[in-house]
Amino acid sequence: MAMRNLLRQLRRTMLTAAVMVIGGALLIFSFALSDGTHEQWIDSGIRTSTGHITIEQPNFRRSRKLEDRLRTDVRGKAEKALAAPEIAAQVVAVSSRLSVSALASSAQGARPVQVQAVDPVAEARFSTLDDQLVEGRYLEPDDRLAAYIGVGLASSLDLRLGSRLVVQAQDAEKEIAAQLLRVVGIFRNGVPEVDQSVVHIPLQTAGEWLGSEHDVTNVGVVLRDSTAVAQVSAHLQQALVDSIERGDARVMGWREANPALAAAIAIDSFGNYLVFGILFIIIAFGIVNTVLMSVLHRHREFGVLQALGLTPGQTGTIVLVEGLTLTAVSGFVGVTLGYLATWYFFGDGLDMAALMGEDMTFSGVVIDPIMVPQFYPVRVVQILAFILAIGAVASVYPALRAARIDIAESMKFER
Amino acid sequence: MTESNTPAVRTEGVWKIFQQEAEEVQAVHDVSLTVERGEFTALAGPSGSGKTTLLNVIGGLTRPTRGKVWVAGQEVTDMSNQELAQLRLEQVGFIFQAYNLLPVLTAMENAEFPMLLQGIAADERAARIGELFARTGMAGLEDRRPGKLSGGQQQRVAVVRAVASRPALVLADEPTANLDSTSSEALLDVMAELNRDLGVTFVFATHDGRVMNRSRRLVQMVDGRIDSDETRG
Repeated sequence: MAMRNLLRQLRRTMLTAAVMVIGGALLIFSFALSDGTHEQWIDSGIRTSTGHITIEQPNFRRSRKLEDRLRTDVRGKAEKALAAPEIAAQVVAVSSRLSVSALASSAQGARPVQVQAVDPVAEARFSTLDDQLVEGRYLEPDDRLAAYIGVGLASSLDLRLGSRLVVQAQDAEKEIAAQLLRVVGIFRNGVPEVDQSVVHIPLQTAGEWLGSEHDVTNVGVVLRDSTAVAQVSAHLQQALVDSIERGDARVMGWREANPALAAAIAIDSFGNYLVFGILFIIIAFGIVNTVLMSVLHRHREFGVLQALGLTPGQTGTIVLVEGLTLTAVSGFVGVTLGYLATWYFFGDGLDMAALMGEDMTFSGVVIDPIMVPQFYPVRVVQILAFILAIGAVASVYPALRAARIDIAESMKFER
Repeated sequence: MTESNTPAVRTEGVWKIFQQEAEEVQAVHDVSLTVERGEFTALAGPSGSGKTTLLNVIGGLTRPTRGKVWVAGQEVTDMSNQELAQLRLEQVGFIFQAYNLLPVLTAMENAEFPMLLQGIAADERAARIGELFARTGMAGLEDRRPGKLSGGQQQRVAVVRAVASRPALVLADEPTANLDSTSSEALLDVMAELNRDLGVTFVFATHDGRVMNRSRRLVQMVDGRIDSDETRG
């Protein structure tokens, strides 16, 4: 009976369904854009820092000293674990870095810098700095005395391509050691701190300069997306269990390694959930309104059904089944349409440059003005479950109204 | 008393009082009435005489304020809503002035709906509806939805729906009020035939002279009371 009502009153069904279809589509669009934006923030933040996951010596994050570095054997174990086939699909890039605080000087003066000694090939896959080149080139595998610096530092020290600079830092023996470098490339990241202080040099050069050989201060991992952090972290914890127990290594996700970014996303998510909550409430009222109107419109019909012998419970069940069926189908159609429309119209991103400008940054993250939506299967399930829950709740009152109808009174209604 | 020799309907001192704002309206006033099985009875009277309200009380669509009602030997006064629904399903057929067919169902589906609720098998339902549609001149219109039927045809489907489940009585509230005289006569012929051939008990609420003339018992109501009760040959 409920199915026939839905199918044979197609106009009424379509009108009622339209509210839920539009609601579902709006939700999937909003979530996809919000999730995509957050993923971009995370990606931007982690690629200029230590990745979705970082493996470090437990004291390094606090001390930032070379003595608190990952020994070559631990680095080897971590790199081997990250090459394992069971997580290969999740891992996009791995970069082992040696990061030290140093003083960079030129004829123009001196500036504190963060020297990141890297394998040029691995780092090019890991970081976006090589893509942010404005002059020269990025590091190459055969480079020895090459330095890749930001526009801020180049300006402060009056450095150009081919200019020489000297970096000084405490070496593995706790002695001050100096290294002469030559600028091969200049980048513009957009985050002032990065442009002012980050210097990339070859890892081999740093090993010889600081006497740290093949040791590094962290092994950073970039994943397919942030949802894989838990799985890959668990795999690493397992593979490095001995080193972790000895206090030689620690595995951290990006939230722990980059709490400012995690907090910024949490605050933004809270704001989004408020907006989505309001959207949910509007959809719920829409469903209650349309289902209730449909029940009131069919006052006489429900009276007839009960006069013919349908119990109040059976009458209410018809309304409930209609509401739930309509909600489930409309929710599914809405989510599917929302997915397709978002993918078709905004798959390449929504350009917000006119509203926010080209260089917006916070918490060390460059905000890309092009918002690219991201679709997670779990969101589809969440939204469908929520729409179904709203449909169930929204159908209860109309169902009760239909069940508690005064039969004799309903017969007085005229069509 | 066996089921077959209990009256189709018995009311004893039935009152129905409605509260309209501060005023009490006595729609039915101390009515005691017995309708035996197989009767073709009309409750007649002007608008507001209480005939529809009495029909609703008998059919369990509304509860009496005072008094007792028995349908096919079952006292309905203290029944729960669930029990009343069961009573309507098994013992009472309704024919309404506005036909009240379900618009989403075909003529066939409308007619078999109470039998479907009773759990009667599909072939039995089809056999009963086939016979009744043939009797009422509705054969061939089984698949039409109500919107595609004339008023007279819709009311015949309503008659088939009311009698097909073989209830103890059929309550018809102004069944001819929306029909022209030809359709009214044809409908009355159908109901008289069903009463005569199948023994279906009909109780009408009407102010249509044609229905009063065709009924074998005429109960006149005025101001909620029975004014006269006349049985004809």
